Amino acid sequence: MVRASLLLVSSIALIASSASAEIARIKAASGPAIVERGAARLPAATGQSLLAGDWLVTGKDGRISLSFIDNTRFAVGPNSRVAVSKFEYDRTRQQGSFVTQVDRGSLAVVSGKIAKSGRDAMQVRTPNSLLGVRGTRFIVEVPK
Amino acid sequence: MSARTFAISIFVLLAGCAHSSLVLLPDEDGGHGQVAILESAGKANDTIVGEANSRTALGGSKPAVRPLGANGLKPAEASLVSELPPPAKSFTLYFLQGTTEMTPESMPVLEELRSEIAKRPGAEVQVTGHTDTVGSDADNDALSQNRAEEILNLLASKGFDRSIMSAVGRGERELKDPTADNVSDPVNRRVEVIVR
Repeated sequence: MVRASLLLVSSIALIASSASAEIARIKAASGPAIVERGAARLPAATGQSLLAGDWLVTGKDGRISLSFIDNTRFAVGPNSRVAVSKFEYDRTRQQGSFVTQVDRGSLAVVSGKIAKSGRDAMQVRTPNSLLGVRGTRFIVEVPK
Repeated sequence: MSARTFAISIFVLLAGCAHSSLVLLPDEDGGHGQVAILESAGKANDTIVGEANSRTALGGSKPAVRPLGANGLKPAEASLVSELPPPAKSFTLYFLQGTTEMTPESMPVLEELRSEIAKRPGAEVQVTGHTDTVGSDADNDALSQNRAEEILNLLASKGFDRSIMSAVGRGERELKDPTADNVSDPVNRRVEVIVR
């Protein structure tokens, strides 16, 4: 009985974390910079939290930096369109999968716990390639 | 347009169409990891980029990895890297067994925690419970989650902003003092507060 209720509690926690939980928080932003969430366009202000599926969009001179709950860190450069297409993370086991899409612009990354949790658990997609991140610091640039 | 000017304009077009690229940097601790190119131009690829301070043009069938050379990063790349947020910082709190009363050694840590959060705009705080190896994994997961929530409430009562905090139980997965199973160990029974 105890075991069954524990299981229930943990599955509820898992559902709650996958539905609409915070995955990252913006630490700094400047210039034209927004978060696109479905049809909504939110200002990319310091402290704004992100959900899986959000787009980070910057214009000329726009910049956004953010940290994820698995310790991954991003810096998004000017004229960029970057989506966190997939972010699933079990905070108890520190395992998950993370797919970022860079349509244009530039993105600096320091990977976190998800990249360490399995081979190619963290991937970055550009218009012409798919990268598997094996624990590292790197920049991806996609010129217009 | 003559054939010659046509050829020149095609050349200019191609030259102007810069390729996507990957720059692999050393890690902050001095080592470096790898990035695998899994697909390129719609086809499976198996290039492993493992040289730090290298630049790789993406989108070809055989991506060439070149050293950055003496000039290093372009100015725009260097400024992008400098805008990465600082790494997360971790603080460990100990409590008198079974209570929410902090040990005297942990009291000053609380003030360090407060000032670290104040230094970080947009801070986010993870209160993480850890157990020792007494009991089952499932019980320790639940125990550490409850403990984390209890300490989150304690921190909130001491003026820490509840809206930036979340509780996580790690059970007995991350022992500070590696012991055999079913060993009672006060060093392992702790709460780690991670500030991002």
